[in-house]
Amino acid sequence: MTPVLSLRNIHKTFGGITAIEDFSLDLHAGEVVALVGDNGAGKSTLIKIISGVHPPTSGEILLDGEPASIPDASIARERGIEVVYQDLALADQQPVYMNLFLGREPVKGPLRLLDRRRMIAETESLIKELDVRIPSVRATIRDLSGGQRQGVAIARATHWATKLVLLDEPTAALGVAETARVEATITALKARNLAILIISHSLDQVFRLSDRICVLRRGQQIGVRDTAQTDKNEVIAMITGLT
Amino acid sequence: MTAALPNRAVLQGLIVYAGFVLIFVFFSVMLWDRGFLTTTNLSNIVLQTAPATIMAFGLVFVLSAGEIDLSFGAIVALAAIVAATVMREYHWSIGLAAGIGTGALAGAVNGAIVAWARLPSFLVTLATMGIVAGLAREISNLQSIPVTQSTFIAIFGGGRLFGIPSLVLWTLAALVIGHIAYRETRFGAHVRAVGDNPRAALVSGIRVTRIRLAVLTLSGACAGFAGILYAGRVQSARYTLGESDLMTVIAAVIVGGTLLTGGRGSIPGALVGSLMMGMLSNGLILMGLSVSWQMMIKGLIVLVAVAVSLREPAR
Amino acid sequence: MTTPIFRTAVASLSVLALTAGAALAQTVGPSGDTATPSTEVTVSDDQAAALAGQGLTAALLWHDQSDFVNAVTAGATDEFTRLGIEVVATTSAAFDSAQQLADVETAMALQPSIILSLPLDPVAAAAAFRPAAEAGVSLVFLSNLPADFVHEVDYAAIVTDDLFEMGKQAADVLAEAIGGEGEVGWIFHDATYYVTNQRDNAFKTTIEADYPGISIVAEAGIADPARAEEIVNAMLLQNPGLDGIYVTWAGPAEGALAALRGMGNTDTKIVTLDLSEPIALDMVRGGNVVGIVADEAYELGRAMAAAGVLHHLMEEVPPFIIAPALTVTADNVAEGWQQSLRRDAPSSVLDAAN
Repeated sequence: MTPVLSLRNIHKTFGGITAIEDFSLDLHAGEVVALVGDNGAGKSTLIKIISGVHPPTSGEILLDGEPASIPDASIARERGIEVVYQDLALADQQPVYMNLFLGREPVKGPLRLLDRRRMIAETESLIKELDVRIPSVRATIRDLSGGQRQGVAIARATHWATKLVLLDEPTAALGVAETARVEATITALKARNLAILIISHSLDQVFRLSDRICVLRRGQQIGVRDTAQTDKNEVIAMITGLT
Repeated sequence: MTAALPNRAVLQGLIVYAGFVLIFVFFSVMLWDRGFLTTTNLSNIVLQTAPATIMAFGLVFVLSAGEIDLSFGAIVALAAIVAATVMREYHWSIGLAAGIGTGALAGAVNGAIVAWARLPSFLVTLATMGIVAGLAREISNLQSIPVTQSTFIAIFGGGRLFGIPSLVLWTLAALVIGHIAYRETRFGAHVRAVGDNPRAALVSGIRVTRIRLAVLTLSGACAGFAGILYAGRVQSARYTLGESDLMTVIAAVIVGGTLLTGGRGSIPGALVGSLMMGMLSNGLILMGLSVSWQMMIKGLIVLVAVAVSLREPAR
Repeated sequence: MTTPIFRTAVASLSVLALTAGAALAQTVGPSGDTATPSTEVTVSDDQAAALAGQGLTAALLWHDQSDFVNAVTAGATDEFTRLGIEVVATTSAAFDSAQQLADVETAMALQPSIILSLPLDPVAAAAAFRPAAEAGVSLVFLSNLPADFVHEVDYAAIVTDDLFEMGKQAADVLAEAIGGEGEVGWIFHDATYYVTNQRDNAFKTTIEADYPGISIVAEAGIADPARAEEIVNAMLLQNPGLDGIYVTWAGPAEGALAALRGMGNTDTKIVTLDLSEPIALDMVRGGNVVGIVADEAYELGRAMAAAGVLHHLMEEVPPFIIAPALTVTADNVAEGWQQSLRRDAPSSVLDAAN
């Protein structure tokens, strides 16, 4: 099966300082891959390369097996890659459904007026499918809890992604119950046959959610393991470099 | 906990209408024998506030995008002077276009500096306010320029259509167009998104720079049109037009439920806020108060209204 | 407006004119009307009795707020009160003709019998006041006239300060203080403002025509009152023997005074226009200031009210009325304040005078 996204020998340097060194990874539809590593290991740089914020210094990106360049974030979106940023990138004063369609609002009629009915209907069905529990799709973001906001951000990425969803620390700011809800939402994404790349500091979470684990340390790719065939000790050893 | 929250925005949006009704009832009772409730007086309030209302509509877009415009009052005078000067020689329609064009151009300069140089709009428009006010004085030589074209005066000043004053019709037209553009178009949604969270707007593919340019240009064009309405009403243009409207219009917009911090606003609220400010001035004059007391009471009521409409309830 | 000088200084204030040349030195009205002293415009007891029970009302629609406007308002209000007329509205247009139009419209809802106002701009005011004129309201204007308004048909009268007399009295008081001989400096307002220009020129004309022993040896224009101190410094540097200086109004006169004090000069005399506490204080303490010429703002307001009432009674009202000028010196400072503004002089001035 052709991977949705292939990264081949990606290098990235910033003014002579190497941020990513020879990184290769295949992501397949319907799988969750976790990207782990200490602070400064290069996880965020990698996300930015995939989402079109920074181009790689060298190396190849393949989408559905075809060589592709992702010169900016809007091209990434056009190609079906969506990012859930750590700060969620939600507009706080706007209702949930407007956030779901932020920048991509459907219009109708000769006056090209907003098609609110369609936005609301699509948001409602998506929220239901992903089981994101919010009071109403008309609720304003600022009136939602942190977990609910995360749910909305993930739902938005899901709605627009056709290939890949990147999740950057999706539960970092959440309590236990809310983390569980967000994890349930992420699990529900797999059913949509998307590839999911998740950055997380919580190894427990990584083991609960992922199919594979990719470890980075100081820009170097230490290795990729099938989650089912590894354990926390091995992953910690890979992250820290201590055996 | 969360279920009741969506109502809060709705309630806050209604405050301006409640305040309007409250003040209206107060004046109706206090001034029942002093002309407040006469048709002429009530229509005066609407006519007198028409230019300020148009400025307020422009400002709703600017504030919603997280910017501010302090120069619109000065632009009003410049646009009126340009329109009146052009109309000395040419057909009034050319004067109209020149007036609105001048406003839009001045606004576009604001917008270009704010959007591309990323300087704070507060400082940029503070500076351009001075430049535009100086320009208005310079090109008019501090003189008043008469407006004599009767068609222009009828359409933008004292005329009527089917018995309805033209300024009322302009206000209604601006209300409908402004409200739809603000609430029901992608442009309006993007304006709110940019003011709400510029980074989120940017990563969502909204052209933030273009929105900032657009709202300030729009505000300038609205100020230009307000200048046209003043020129039609006063039948002359002078550098003082619009200068005293700055604070009134900002207050009207805030009282009308538009956040100074961006992301949320209301065009009908701005209309009601503007009418409320006009009604306040009118009622306080009719009460026979001295000018100093009129100023103090007006300031106090605006303070209360702004406090009530902006206060965050405990969460 | 921080300086009282701008109170009537509206850029388009052009209806008044001084007759050309020094020979005919007096203030004349539009269409060449000769001035009638305000003291001749009064409402008699019989006329007042005729008004009783009519329930007349008046509105005062001013251009701005200032000491001067307050004094005019006080004069008008007292006169109206004496005649049993209620002042139902008072407004300030803050020099904005659109606001003035709104103020007229608003006041008309109260259907006043009389309106007193300073029309900001002849063209805009013509549109603003026309409906009031047609509704039969007696209109009395301060200093300015709406375009194409006809006396008696459209308005009752124009009332203004006797600008020429103010400048002339300033020349007289300075001449007397320096014994009719010597060299003086002339600091004029270097901007096109009718009120200051007329007063400044009247001073100069009077010195040149009436005081052959006095010569104006230094002239300096002033646009920014804050720069008066350096201008006077420079003037005295070049003309150390100046006997006196005329300063266009009290604001810059305070700067001139600071300059003289700074160089320890107690000989050079100052004369200026418009009442001001620091200037009056120097004067009563025997400092450089020898006189202040003021207008009778209170009397001006009274005359406006009286003109409006007379017009309403279908009496003849002179078209152009002037309120007198008044020279205030250390000897009459308490009375002068009363006469001009109808209120007590500042206590610091009164204390120093006693």
